[in-house]
Amino acid sequence: MLVNIASSVIAADAVNDKKDLYPHWNELIVGAIAFTILFVFMWKWVMPAINKLLEQRRQKIQGDLEKAEHARREAQSELADYRAQLAGARDEANRIIEEGRRTADQLRKDLQAKAEREAQATVARAQEEIRAERDRALQELKARVGAIAVDLAGRVVGASLDEKAHAKLIDEYIAQVAEGDGKGSGGG
Amino acid sequence: MIGVLAAFEAPTTKDFVWACWGPSLRIGGVTICLNFITFLVLLGFLLFIGFFFFALRRPRIVPGKLQILAEMGIQFVRENVAGPMLGPETDRYMPLLATLFFAILFWNIFEVVPGINFSSNSRIAFPMVMAVVSWVTYNAVGINKHGFVGYLKFVLFPPGAPLALYPLLVPIEFITTIVIRPITLSVRLAANLLAGHFLLAVFFLGTIALLQGGWIAVFTPISFGIAIVLVGFEIFVSVLQAFIFSILTASYIGGALAEEH
Repeated sequence: MLVNIASSVIAADAVNDKKDLYPHWNELIVGAIAFTILFVFMWKWVMPAINKLLEQRRQKIQGDLEKAEHARREAQSELADYRAQLAGARDEANRIIEEGRRTADQLRKDLQAKAEREAQATVARAQEEIRAERDRALQELKARVGAIAVDLAGRVVGASLDEKAHAKLIDEYIAQVAEGDGKGSGGG
Repeated sequence: MIGVLAAFEAPTTKDFVWACWGPSLRIGGVTICLNFITFLVLLGFLLFIGFFFFALRRPRIVPGKLQILAEMGIQFVRENVAGPMLGPETDRYMPLLATLFFAILFWNIFEVVPGINFSSNSRIAFPMVMAVVSWVTYNAVGINKHGFVGYLKFVLFPPGAPLALYPLLVPIEFITTIVIRPITLSVRLAANLLAGHFLLAVFFLGTIALLQGGWIAVFTPISFGIAIVLVGFEIFVSVLQAFIFSILTASYIGGALAEEH
């Protein structure tokens, strides 16, 4: 086996030749022409196309950014406007509510005062009426008590008293009875 | 075992020799013809032009898929190859660096295209052409910037070294900058793709040989698995080499442009 490998290596050495790897004029010329054309193509066509493209893209991106910035600023100012409007509306609403509350308060107070006044007036009127009624009743009572007393006294003394002569006496008596009224109603 | 060895055809340098197809054109002592290699060069060339043409034929602000790819590629070269090395001078050298990157990439990638599996850049002639372009460019840029004598002084006498070292430094700097750079550029690229071709050939041919080797065919999946992984690796190498070649060129140009210290 070793012999075999060795012989195959020797055979390969006999086949290999460094001259096989030397450059040929054919290749040098073809390579030089091909490279030159590629270079000119790259120089005159590819790079300008790429550079133009990048420049266009740069401008477009810049334009877009500026547009976006503009739109952003516009949106911001609009937002500020809306906020201001909203704040204004809120103030207005607060103001209206406050005013409503004040009005309602005022109304309530007015009503209360009016009701109180009316109640007082009613009470006063009632008292007035009561007093008038009492005075009237007293007056009536005075007259009747006088009559009854005269009548009673006449019957007791057996003689009719002169009403006019004894009016003073009767009045004094009634005044006494009326004073006694303060202690009790037993006068009648 | 012996059967396997017999079936296994190790790849040789003969893989890199291709005869002319059809008629050839003779100018002086030079034969120009279409063969497998110049055909691949043409294919990569058309791929390059077709890719950028169709991507940027009707450029749109909001790009399509192909346009995005082309833009990303160019932006990659601008930001990761040219930019870091050239700074404000980037745009001036973008056409050259982008051409180098994409030409090398599109020529490299045929190494992993099934059915082709061969890159024209594994023939050193093509890396040589591009290395010469790079060499001429960075030297011309340096001479343009500093004047011929100024550039020689700039290259040969790095400042800050002790005087006694200059007899040693001058030849080293000269050889490094003027002689070795183009050689390393072209050899690095060609050797990577040559080695890649050998690697892929060994594992794919090995897979075929193992299949015919009786019981030893149980090892086939290993060989095939490695071959598949290597395809991915070679795609990576193709991109990496295009990147390295163009970024080194950018770095050399940047070095030539640098202010005198």
